[in-house]
Amino acid sequence: MDYMAVVILGCAVVTFIPRLIPALFIDKLDFPPKVEKFLNLIPYTALAALICPGVLTVDNQLWYIGLIGAIVAAGLAWKKVPLGAIVILTVVILIAVYSIVPFF
Amino acid sequence: MGIGYAAIAIKAGMTPLETISMSFLVYAGAGQIIAASMVLSGATAMAIILTNFVVNLRYFVMSTCVLNQIEDSNTPLNILAAHVTVDESFAMFSLSEDSSIWTYLGIAITAWLSWCLGAGIGVVLLDLLPVIVTNSFNISLYALFVAILTPAVKESKQIALLVLITAVLNIVLSQFLGNWSLIVSTLVGAAIGMYIVDDEYLISGDV
Repeated sequence: MDYMAVVILGCAVVTFIPRLIPALFIDKLDFPPKVEKFLNLIPYTALAALICPGVLTVDNQLWYIGLIGAIVAAGLAWKKVPLGAIVILTVVILIAVYSIVPFF
Repeated sequence: MGIGYAAIAIKAGMTPLETISMSFLVYAGAGQIIAASMVLSGATAMAIILTNFVVNLRYFVMSTCVLNQIEDSNTPLNILAAHVTVDESFAMFSLSEDSSIWTYLGIAITAWLSWCLGAGIGVVLLDLLPVIVTNSFNISLYALFVAILTPAVKESKQIALLVLITAVLNIVLSQFLGNWSLIVSTLVGAAIGMYIVDDEYLISGDV
């Protein structure tokens, strides 16, 4: 097999295995309340870790571009703008920010 | 959102078919971008596969959480649900109070197909779009994360504090642990949360 086929199929297999194990054994997993609380907290901490510091690398040269995007998205979410509209508006506002950056 | 990945894949010399089939078969945002970057820098297939395994181990935790929340399922549907489990589908489903496999598959398969579609669009449009526009698309994933997290932060000072602690922890750890810092910060953050977040601030016991 050629190099790219090995890379793609290899990555597919090693990525699927961790996802698959819970699917096969979930019935045998019964969590006590403390473990449930721990699992309940994971979405919040995972999102926090996904955002910081990754958001600063949205543009490899201008770190503040991502920060501006994050602040815009947070502001819109605070005002209860719907999810899809937040994503689209943030992209549009960043395009606008990019078009004024050369003037500074 | 797949456009950013397509940009790197094409630069790495991957064909359009390879670029899109990786999105379909591997389906791992950060993992694919790292794989494409490693192809670009001429890494061996074994190094790329091992790195992907490590980076994507976090899906074990996410898949466990998702499948534990679902109540009306069977093994074949669970296997499909497992393949389409990524950060976004996991976060959106966890923060919803739903426990139906169909709700989850609806969210997750839409995200999966739009990721593949994004790669396809990226392959076709990349040459036509100015860099400013492709860079602006990179924010869309983060805008989604921030938008999901903000209502919970607004609702509870304890969650807000936990988010802040985890963010700082990950910024520090990423200097030392590289790609491992995401999963370590997530787990350590949740462990800290056991002590600083009261039970009533968490979504009722669906999970």
